[in-house]
Amino acid sequence: MAVSVAGHGPDAHGHALVHDEVIYQETRDIRLFGFILFLVSDVVLFSAFIFAYLYLRNTIAPQWPPMLNGKQLPRLDVAFAAVNSVVLFGSGVTMHFAMENWKHENHRKFDLWILATIILGAAFLGGQGYEYAHAAIGGWSGSIFGASFFTLTGMHGFHVFVGVIFLCVLWWQTKRGVYDGTHHFGLTAGTLYWHFVDVIWVALFYLFYLF
Amino acid sequence: MAVATPAVTAHAVLDHIHPEPTSFVRKYVFSIDAKVIGVQYMITGLLFFVMAGLLAELIRIQLMHSDGKFLSNDTYNAVYTMHGSAMVWMVIIPLLTGGFGNFVMPLQIGARDVAFPWLNLAAFWMFPVAGILLFGAFLVGAPDAGWTEYPPVSLQGPVGTNLWCAAIFLIGISSTMTGINFIVTIIKMRAPGMTLTRMPLFVWAQLSTAALSMIATTALSGALLALFLERVFGVPFYDPIKGGSPVLWQHMFWFYSHPAVYIMILPAFGIISEILPTFARKPIFGYKMIAFSSVAIALVGFMVWGHHMFTSGLSPWLQLSFMILTMVVAIPTGIKIFSWVATLWGGSIEFTPAMLFATGFLITFTFGGITGVFLAAVPVDLHASGTDFVVGHFHYVLYGGSVFGIFAGLYYWWPKITGYMMSSALGKWHFWCTFVSFNGTFLPMHWLGLQGMPRRYATYSPAHDAVFWNVVASCSSFVLAASTLLLFINMWWSFRNGKRAGANPWGARTLEWMISSPPPYYNYKTVPTVLATPYDFGNPLPYIGLDSAEGAAATPQSTAGHPAPVH
Repeated sequence: MAVSVAGHGPDAHGHALVHDEVIYQETRDIRLFGFILFLVSDVVLFSAFIFAYLYLRNTIAPQWPPMLNGKQLPRLDVAFAAVNSVVLFGSGVTMHFAMENWKHENHRKFDLWILATIILGAAFLGGQGYEYAHAAIGGWSGSIFGASFFTLTGMHGFHVFVGVIFLCVLWWQTKRGVYDGTHHFGLTAGTLYWHFVDVIWVALFYLFYLF
Repeated sequence: MAVATPAVTAHAVLDHIHPEPTSFVRKYVFSIDAKVIGVQYMITGLLFFVMAGLLAELIRIQLMHSDGKFLSNDTYNAVYTMHGSAMVWMVIIPLLTGGFGNFVMPLQIGARDVAFPWLNLAAFWMFPVAGILLFGAFLVGAPDAGWTEYPPVSLQGPVGTNLWCAAIFLIGISSTMTGINFIVTIIKMRAPGMTLTRMPLFVWAQLSTAALSMIATTALSGALLALFLERVFGVPFYDPIKGGSPVLWQHMFWFYSHPAVYIMILPAFGIISEILPTFARKPIFGYKMIAFSSVAIALVGFMVWGHHMFTSGLSPWLQLSFMILTMVVAIPTGIKIFSWVATLWGGSIEFTPAMLFATGFLITFTFGGITGVFLAAVPVDLHASGTDFVVGHFHYVLYGGSVFGIFAGLYYWWPKITGYMMSSALGKWHFWCTFVSFNGTFLPMHWLGLQGMPRRYATYSPAHDAVFWNVVASCSSFVLAASTLLLFINMWWSFRNGKRAGANPWGARTLEWMISSPPPYYNYKTVPTVLATPYDFGNPLPYIGLDSAEGAAATPQSTAGHPAPVH
């Protein structure tokens, strides 16, 4: 791990394994901290667009949903989105079980749960595509409704898409023996990312469908 | 802190040394060494500084006549837009964070590199690409709505505005990456014994700055993305005809760009806090107050963006809140100014070029800070907004503050970076020419602005001696540009004639001066243990465990046998 090691006391070479373990843990802490900060900065990106949406909706628009070409735009279809949300939240649950099984070294169950997560994530994306095709709110560039809805949910969908790729790579890495029951930084980061995407969707679902 | 148990945490990662790069490309082009990346930032940033400075001279030539015909109106708009954008995003922020941050900060905390060296490499290479995109806009029609790019004007601007969006987006991502990298480095990778309140003040400043870069910059990324989408795909966010709001852009832009003001000044505060005690030979006055006031400025800095929008129709209650919060910023800033002055008080001051620029900073920055309090007051701002008074104010802060800080830092750390001394005489000429011509350029803008001289206009009314004072400002700005040449001559001179610097030419006490100049690629042969703050002039150096050759190179004092100071 360390190419050249200096300054850790005379007996460290006799404890190379202990030393490697300490380096692993510190490196993991450093990467995890960096990854969490990345997620925080990502929250700010979503917050900027959420602010834009709320500002346009509450301060600028005379009524909501707004008018487009003299016609009142409809509200979004809550029922379908609710089903789709359950799919995404379900994938958070399956991801949790995948992670727990990995920690207990039940590799067969891990495979099943992470496969379920990937399928649910892909299903959510498919549902979002269906919803995009059927949302009669005048398209992306029609009004501020379409602009904020398609931009925000599109950004979120892009994050889900990246997450699905991320999970596939992690799964492939587990097959290559990159991780074991106690050394699984990549899986921890992937789980964090997946739950993060879920939490963002909670906010978006409320703001666009229920609010 | 007992000497017998030096390690606060295990810090085995600090022991890691990268293999020494051998090829030229790995050593100087795609290096992962924070010091090399820092120098890369400095070279690139100074190159853009010259280009953006020449744009400023075009503005000043235009304003020498009230009916200026030097540039067409459209070209004039493009020139001041590009001058401002380049100076903020391609010069000051990269030089202060990427440049000095990368070179100095890991050395000062006793680390061998930053936490994520590859991320650092990627962040750097986004910077020249962004610079090329930005200046490339001149080839296709440069943006012309001012560096703030307010819609709806920016929505109608030339196609180069798209390049502007892309360039600033890219440099923003780079800035976020650097911010994350620095926070993790400072929190996780300090040498054993270096508690938070034993960190050098430059590190405190970088920590506060990194938090701002990390959080605020992504908000700008969002605003830019929306502007880009609206310009390219017609997605309505800002266009009032399609139900959007131009004021939305102002909120999102200033939510970033006001903290960006502190991104541009906090590292300069850090540089000043290193230089003043070193050349006054006195402990810094109010270490903790200076450190915590950086954090306070960063926090309050998030809640004052509305003071840029007093003329945009905010409700009076919001105006009042923003006015009061803005004035609150003057308190931590004032704490810093008073602490610096108290540091100088009774010191045996040595006016090296770095110290001259630091002292000049105290004067010009304080002046700019005070006009800032004027502008924070809503009634004054309503009168002065959009005039040359504002231009004068922020040049006192950004040139007299940030750029003076950059000059001071360059003179201070040049021997550490290169191993050679610069000419002190030439440096003093540089300072005095800069100081006089700087005031000549920007001081007249204050009364010109109060008399009604607008900013961003290619022509103006010749009433009230406006032509005379504009000619004074323009001629001073030519001297200012010429005196900057002295800096570059001095750099060239130091390589030809400069003496070898040795480890610690200034007798400074922070960690980076304890090792050879330039430092070896691995920084520290052995990771030192830190026993106290670095500013206790008169006490023994608070480091143990430095390689003996390193310690001997730095100072004749020895730490052996001295009791550790208790803090």
